[in-house]
This record gives sequence, structure tokens and C-alpha cells, in this order.
Amino acid sequence: MRYLRLIGSFMRASAQNELAYRANFWISLLYALLNLGTGVLGVVVLFSQVETVRGWDLPATLALLGVYLIIGALRNLFIGPSLNALAGLDGEIWTGRFDFTLLRPVDTQFLASLRYWRPLALVDLVLGAAVMRLEQSLTLPRLVTFVVALGAGVTILYAILLAFTALFLWSPGFLFTWAFDAVFQMARYPVGLYPGWLRLVLTWVIPVGVMTTVPAQALAGGLSAGTLVGSVALGLLVGASALFRFGLRRYASASS
Amino acid sequence: MNQRGGWALIKSTWLSWMQHRSFFFLLAFMWMIPPLIYLFVWSTAAGGKTIGGFSRGEFVAYYLVLILVNQLTYSQTNWTVGDVIRSGQMNTLLLRPMSPLYGTLASEVAGKVVYMAFMIPVTAVLALVLHPEMHVTLQNGLAFVPALGLAWALRFFWGYWLALLAFWATRADALLGLQDSLVFLLAGQVAPTALLPGLMRQAAAVLPFRYMLGFPVEVLTGQLSTVELWTGFTFQAGWLFVTLLLFVTMWRTGVKRYSAVGG
Amino acid sequence: MAETQIVVHNLSKTYRVPGREPGLAASFRSLVRRTYRDVEAVRDVSFTVEAGEMVGFIGPNGAGKTTTLKMLSGLLHPTAGQARVLGGVPWERKPDYLQRISMVLGNKSQMLWDIPPLDTFHVLGEIYHVAPAELKRTLDELVELLEMQELLTKPVRNFSLGERMKCEFVAGLLHHPRVLFLDEPTLGLDVSMQGRLRRFLAEYNRRSDVTMILTSHYVADVVTLCPRVILIHRGRLLYDGELSRLAERLAPFKLIRLALSNERVENEPELPPGADIVEQENGRLTLRVARSAAPSITAHLLNTLPVADLAVEDPPIEAVIDQIYQEGDV
Repeated sequence: MRYLRLIGSFMRASAQNELAYRANFWISLLYALLNLGTGVLGVVVLFSQVETVRGWDLPATLALLGVYLIIGALRNLFIGPSLNALAGLDGEIWTGRFDFTLLRPVDTQFLASLRYWRPLALVDLVLGAAVMRLEQSLTLPRLVTFVVALGAGVTILYAILLAFTALFLWSPGFLFTWAFDAVFQMARYPVGLYPGWLRLVLTWVIPVGVMTTVPAQALAGGLSAGTLVGSVALGLLVGASALFRFGLRRYASASS
Repeated sequence: MNQRGGWALIKSTWLSWMQHRSFFFLLAFMWMIPPLIYLFVWSTAAGGKTIGGFSRGEFVAYYLVLILVNQLTYSQTNWTVGDVIRSGQMNTLLLRPMSPLYGTLASEVAGKVVYMAFMIPVTAVLALVLHPEMHVTLQNGLAFVPALGLAWALRFFWGYWLALLAFWATRADALLGLQDSLVFLLAGQVAPTALLPGLMRQAAAVLPFRYMLGFPVEVLTGQLSTVELWTGFTFQAGWLFVTLLLFVTMWRTGVKRYSAVGG
Repeated sequence: MAETQIVVHNLSKTYRVPGREPGLAASFRSLVRRTYRDVEAVRDVSFTVEAGEMVGFIGPNGAGKTTTLKMLSGLLHPTAGQARVLGGVPWERKPDYLQRISMVLGNKSQMLWDIPPLDTFHVLGEIYHVAPAELKRTLDELVELLEMQELLTKPVRNFSLGERMKCEFVAGLLHHPRVLFLDEPTLGLDVSMQGRLRRFLAEYNRRSDVTMILTSHYVADVVTLCPRVILIHRGRLLYDGELSRLAERLAPFKLIRLALSNERVENEPELPPGADIVEQENGRLTLRVARSAAPSITAHLLNTLPVADLAVEDPPIEAVIDQIYQEGDV
């Protein structure tokens, strides 16, 4: 399909772009390791003082950290770089280069979401998977549920980021994605650890809790809310896409 | 010492920062989240019992104070000075009849005021919601002020001399990333330094990071005995002295090299 | 072949701008209540363009030129009016339509920064459905015309502005659009590069019959490239036609250049009414007279002054247009 060929072309150009800066590779590797190290140490320090917290023990929490890193890696692989190109003070919308993107005979949402890739994020992906230590007895159905839950998590992430990018079309100065990044950090720990009201916020308002906790639970075999999460993911995706398209129309009507 | 110039600079910097307050409120919000996460994690872990002598309420108090102290001591010089050097604007600054230090200080002061405008109300609300437990004695309260001041100075100059590395290495950000991780682990964010396991605890007591952030918090929340208090102050002053030396050396040699190379 | 390619009818664009008054009190008020102003960027503009034409949009800053161009390329929705370009409505942004147009923006780049331009061209070729063999052929032709062979393998971030603009042109033309919109394409370039790019555009238009609409601040761009100009001022179309006749319309005067044979001339030679001195130096005079009065004044001058040489000229078109731009008014 043509869109697949386009993605291939984008991936190739992005890889060339990355390779233009060789120093980047080592620095990215260092950052990935630092990220991993501090995350793991954080969890280890906690469990050096207690055995379990609300039912989560060290291996389970580490597994959750692994899921967090994997989702972060998938975000940095293409969702992040592509959507970020539009946002921010040197982004396309603010500088006016978005006009070029709008002129292409290709769906704008597709371009905005899949245009830029950072292959180095694959390193984070591997590290995240390593932390998850898939040596626990993984039955096939559990693995499948896990992958599906992970997919739903990534879809929710994409939908949220897309919605934020859409908000940029209204208010190009505001750094919505930064605000989200801070809240996304909360997904490092099981959502059950947070007080009730926060748990509700993190499940229903900004579903970051759902992104990591649900796949981690799927891995351990305790997934009960599978279909619910799936439909939430789908609903958010449709909503975010609609918002984005509506934003495009408004952008074309309201700017000069 | 150009005092009038310095004051005018602070005022104008503050006005322009207030223009973009939503940006800085957002930054303040972002910096608040990691300590908040650990606040929740530890207070939940403590539950009805205590961990290492901390009750749930005491964890809450510790982290709320940490949030405020973090905001007050956080140094932006890493980013601002480093950027200025890399972009070549240092030339303009060196030409002015005021040391570039003033500009950095002006940003610091302006920034702190703006951040506090956001932080104090938010922390107050959080305190209402989360019920911290804190007993502040007069001694601790008095000791807190110099501890905080020294912590700010330490963090400021430490960040500054690291940023001056940009005079030599164009890619000093790897070092900054490393230093951020160390601050995160050893300064009292991930856990109060008293709760860190063996080796980390010892490292935290000796390295400067705790004295930039965790130490004043521990002073105010009454975690330290008098002996520990004075040991802490010694370490803090000692590290500040070392940092100032590093800063002055880097500055002198850096400026020389910068002008020689032509910026 | 003169088919009508662009038809614009009563196109208008009004948008709302938040009002921002200076002063502390006003900025506090704006926190609570935002006031808006309506800006009429384009008002009732109508014109048609035929295939292969090169049309220049001129007018002072903020006149509405770029806004009109953006409506024709589909980037903006008009508030009122219609337009059809290549048979389609631009702002519906159908892929079919977008495939056949192109836009070059003078101060913005569509190139990927850290890699050689050739890589960006390949991605664009993919996006615009250009077959690889066809792409190679087109690139070869464009690169030769623009004389940029050595640039192809160097990363774009090292290029000068002129070199970057060459890349922009290639990027804009590699899919053989039928209509090319150019917004300030020579902005910031030195004179020789401007000349080169103009020659390229003229040659490309000759070869490919692409329709070009160009806005530019540089009078020379318009004078050299566009036999037809459309003058837009405060959103309204004030003139549409040949450049030479624009001068007549806007500046209905002529210049009379005299050389006097008597070197020792009184400071104030007696001049007939209606003649203003523009320049005076060493017995050479330049006078400005109303167009209609030129013959009679010329006769008068010949009769009353010791004229050694006399010429009657049209004012240079650059001066006319410059005057419009500077005064911001017509």
C-alpha cells in the first residue's frame, strides 16, 4: 500500500538525519542507561524498606517500570518526534512551516503522526524489555493479553498527544505536551499506589495510569478490565482524531 | 559593583518573566511532579505504620518542604549560561560594564519570585488535602535559614561551573544528564537520605548533592540531632568553598580561552 | 493555448484579532475580557488567470497579497466569494488538487535540515507520486538550470540563503505542478542571486508553461518577470493589467530633462506653471509635469529658455512602485 511505502521513505530519511550526528548515538545510549538506572534504583530503594506496597512487590513493580520504559520508547520512536515537530516555539505551527505540510497531497494527520522517526529509541525498548525479565512463566494467552493491553496503552498515549497537538492549532504558544510529560511520569508506579482521588484522575481524566498498570497486570495474569480498556482506547483515538481535524479547519479559517 | 544596574536588570527581567507567566507556571508544575510522586509512594507505603522513623504524615511534610526548597534552590544556570556560551552571545555580555554574573543572578531572582507565586498557593492547598505532620522547633527554624541560603549558593555555583564547561566542550550535556541523575538519587528526592540503603547513604552524606536540597529539608523537619546538624553545616560550607574555587578557576581560564579562540 | 486556469470572484477574507492595547491597566483588563477587532485582509477581489501566465501581486505591506495567495493554494478558507483553480475549489484541499499546485515561501524552508537536499527530494518524490525515473529526469533538469550540482550531497544546514532558495525551487517543482505560487521568493538574497533566480523562473516558465503567481517586495522581480500585475491595497484590487500602463494610471506625469546652453543660469529660471523642479544641477534640469500638459510646457520651455537638449520621459516604473510601497498608499 502506498502509505506503507511512504512510511518506509520517512524512516529512511529519519535514519539518515540521525546518523548525521554521530555523537548523538553515544549520548542517547548514556541517557537511556541513566534513565534505566535511576528508575531501577528508585524502585530498589523503596523496596529496601518495605516488602510490599498495596499488593505490589519488587519484581512486579520492576515489571511495571519495564512497561513504562517500553511505552516511553514507542513514544520516542515515532509519535513523539512527529507530533513534536509541530509543537513548540520552533515548531511548524508557530513558525509557519506547517503551511508546507498542509500543502501535501497526503492526509495531514498521517503526516503529522508518522513523519519523523528516532531509531535510537529502540535502545530504550530493549532496555525496558530487559527490565521486565520475561523469565517468569509466560503462557501464550497471557503474552497475547499483554501485547493487546500494551497496544491499547500506546493508542491511548497517541490519542492524548494528538489531542494536545490539536490544541496547538488554537493556542500555538502553550506547551501542552510538556504538561503531559510531567503527568506521564506518574505512570512509573502502579496506579494503585496513589490516593483514591488521584487514581480516578489517572484512570479517567488523563489515563496514564491505565497505560502502564493494565499491561503489567496482564503480564501477571490478573487482567479483568480488558475490554473496557480497549474501548476506552478506541474512543479516545476517535475523539482525538476528530479534534485534530476540527483544529485544522479552524486553523485555515482563523489565521492569515 | 554596579548596584543600580543590577537592580534595574532584576526588575526588567522580572517584568518580562511575568509576561510569560503561564510558561513559568508550567515549568514550576513540572518540577513539582517528581517529588509529589515519591510523596504518594512513600506515604502509601508507610500506611498506618512508620518506615525508618517516618510516619505517613511525616513523609508528606518532608516532601512538601522538599518541593518548596527544590524550587527555591533549583539552578537554571546550566541551561541559560550554557546556551549563552554556545550561541556566542557571551561576547555581548562580556562587553557590558557589568559582569555577566549579574544577568544570571537577575534571572535567578526573577525566576524564583515567579515560581513562588505559583508554588506557595499550590503547596498550601496540597497541605490542606494531604495532612502533613510536622513539628518545627525554634532551633530548627533558625537553622533552616542559613541551611537554605547555603544550599541555594551551592546549587547555583555548582550549576554555574558545570555550565562553564561549555567553554571547552560543546557537548557538555552528557555530564549535565549524569549530574541530574545523581541529584535525583542522592539529594533526597527518591527517598530521604536517611532511608537510602548502605552504600548510597554513605555516598549521599559525603557528596555535595544532599547539601543542595535534602539537608535544609531535613533540618526543618527535625530529622537531625545537633551533632548531625553541625556535621551537615560543615560539609555544606566545605562544598560551597570547593565549588566557589572551581567556579572562579573555570571562569578565569574559560574567559581567556574564549577570547583567544574568538568565541 | 489560453485556457482560463484561475477564476477568482469576489473573494474576501476577514479575521478577528485580539485587541491588545498598551499600558498596565489595559493588560489587567485583558485578563478578564478579551476584545477583538475585525481585520478585512482581502475585500471583493476578482480576476482570472490563464494557463502559462506570470502574474505579479504588488502592494504595500499588509495589503492582502499573501492572504490571497494562501486562499488560492488552499491554506485559508475565505470569508466570502469563490475561486476555482484548475477546475477545483482550493480550500477543499483534495489530494488531486494539491498534487498539481506548488508553493515556494521566501522566508520558510521545507528542506530537512541535517541531510543533503537530495534526500529531501526523494521523500517529496514519494509524497507526490513521482516515479523514480521521472524524478531523476526532473531533478537533473532543474539542477542543471539552477547550477547546483555540488550542493546535492552536502547537508542543508551549511548552505547560504541563496543556495537554500535554489533547493526550495527544486523542491517546489519536482512534481511538475501546473500552478506555482511564490511568496517573496527572493527575500534577503543578494542582487546577483536574485537575478539568477529570476532568469531561472523565466526560463522554466518558457519551457514548461507553468502558471506563476508571484508576490514580491523587490520591484525588479515584478518588472523583470511579470508582464501583468495586480495591485492590491488595503485588501482591494486596484489595478489589473500591464505594468507599463500602471505607471500611467498611478503617476500621470512625465519627466522633462533639459540641458541649457547658457552655463550661467539665474538661480530661478522662469518656468511655466505646472512644472516642478525635481533635480537641478549645472545647467541640467529635470522637471515633472502633468502628462497632459507635457506638450504645451515643452513648447513654452523651448521658446523661453536657451535649451541645448531636451527629452520627455516616462517616470521609471521602479520609482512609481517604490512610491506606492513607501507611502503605503496610492
